[in-house]
Amino acid sequence: MAFVKRLSTLLTRTRLSIPINTQSRKIHRWVSPTLIELKYREKKQGGKVFNPRNQFLEWNLEAELYAFGKRLNEEFDSDLLLQAFTDRSYVIKEEMKQKEMEFDLKMKDNRELVKEGEQFMEEYIKLYLETVLPKFPMEGIVGIKNHLMSESVLSNVSLYLGTKDIILAAEYPVDHQTLANTFKAIVGALLKSSGEEQTAHFVRDFVITQLQGQDVNEYWHIEDPWTMLTELIAKTGSELEPRLIGEVGKNTLLACYRVGLYLDKKMLSSGFGETVAIAKEMAAREALKKIFGTEDTMHPINFKLNGIPKSTSDLRYKISAN
Amino acid sequence: MSNKNLFLKSAFVRAPLQNGVGRYVCQLQRIVLKFCKSHGASRGIRDFIEQDLVDFSRQNPGVVVYLKPRRHRGPVLVAEYLNGDRVWMSVHNKTHSEITKWMEVLRTQQGDVAGARLKKYQYTDYPSVQGPWTPFTFKDPELNVATLPDPKFGANNRLSVSATEKLRLMFEKQKISEKDMKIGE
Repeated sequence: MAFVKRLSTLLTRTRLSIPINTQSRKIHRWVSPTLIELKYREKKQGGKVFNPRNQFLEWNLEAELYAFGKRLNEEFDSDLLLQAFTDRSYVIKEEMKQKEMEFDLKMKDNRELVKEGEQFMEEYIKLYLETVLPKFPMEGIVGIKNHLMSESVLSNVSLYLGTKDIILAAEYPVDHQTLANTFKAIVGALLKSSGEEQTAHFVRDFVITQLQGQDVNEYWHIEDPWTMLTELIAKTGSELEPRLIGEVGKNTLLACYRVGLYLDKKMLSSGFGETVAIAKEMAAREALKKIFGTEDTMHPINFKLNGIPKSTSDLRYKISAN
Repeated sequence: MSNKNLFLKSAFVRAPLQNGVGRYVCQLQRIVLKFCKSHGASRGIRDFIEQDLVDFSRQNPGVVVYLKPRRHRGPVLVAEYLNGDRVWMSVHNKTHSEITKWMEVLRTQQGDVAGARLKKYQYTDYPSVQGPWTPFTFKDPELNVATLPDPKFGANNRLSVSATEKLRLMFEKQKISEKDMKIGE
């Protein structure tokens, strides 16, 4: 009997230790601790380590420069292209090194090419936009041009053309300003090696196409659309009349008003908003878009214009002159 | 997002830098072929290098090709793309024709496509072409000329039909159809 008693505890124990087959969600409990540990080790090391691609064993600058031109379907002068990729910071660093080792090797940086490229792009983009947006005022054109010439857009273009690894700069990874400057310098180098028309097509294909799928009105902020619209209409001698053509939920949080603008008793545009003043302003904005030919339903911008278009700036609306 | 997708990036279908709007740029910028000169696993890649590599680089001058012989180590293709992606691919024991096909895949894709889960099969910056909805968007034009209050527009037609009303309507319908039958006789 004593034996059975002794065995009974063992039996109950074995029964308890049998795993009960319950369904559990397989949560990967190791993910979070692993990531925490990796981050800790990275921090201990002093930040993320970047290995510059151009210091790898499999790197040939000459081949990279050749492929760069071929990839973009352009003929570059190889010396000029190398100069375009040489940043000022790299030249300073190299000169310091050379002073230590006591020899002198002249290197050219890309400052000149940057200036030339920038000047060409400014002029060409302006002329191109004037041609493809014939009714848009000069102020708006300048706004779009400034957007296209901004550091963020140019550095993005430069990055996606694969300049990041080829650029000769003191630091790695290179900053946005260096990327943007390199792109301008590439344009300058192309201008010198292939001529104006080829360069214009290059700028068109890589910079102006960045307007694809964008609303061009966003790059020009109009402070007071109502005054601008009335001034424009006053010149034509027509009568502009705003009418309240709809109101819903007056005196509530969800109030909505709709204002229509009528030009000689014909509807020009309509806008809506939570107050009458906002609705009127929106209607004025819509009307301006219609006058400038940049409404939401406008034809897509033509990205296939060949050659350098001629200036038409004398014939357009001058807002600031009024 | 489930745990399964913790390490798989999600992405939308996008063309890098509006590629193709202006001109087409091959997105593969360089490819490194790592192989062993004597090991059997590198047989296919050695054949490829001997027979097809010169033609490949002649047809694609925009792609920089590097060869990296390594003693007794597995054969590998490493493709680098303009958007910074790097695709590492083992071609251990792969035959010559298989490697030709994989090279074509690496050349024509735009980045590390297999490394991302597509959220959708289409993408647009402008989901709506008619602008935001307002209470006036689908307004009945008849309302513009109506003089309010009008029982037609003021009727409460939002409540569902009661059972009694439904029965009445069915009865009316039945009566009409009976009348039609009589006329038909």
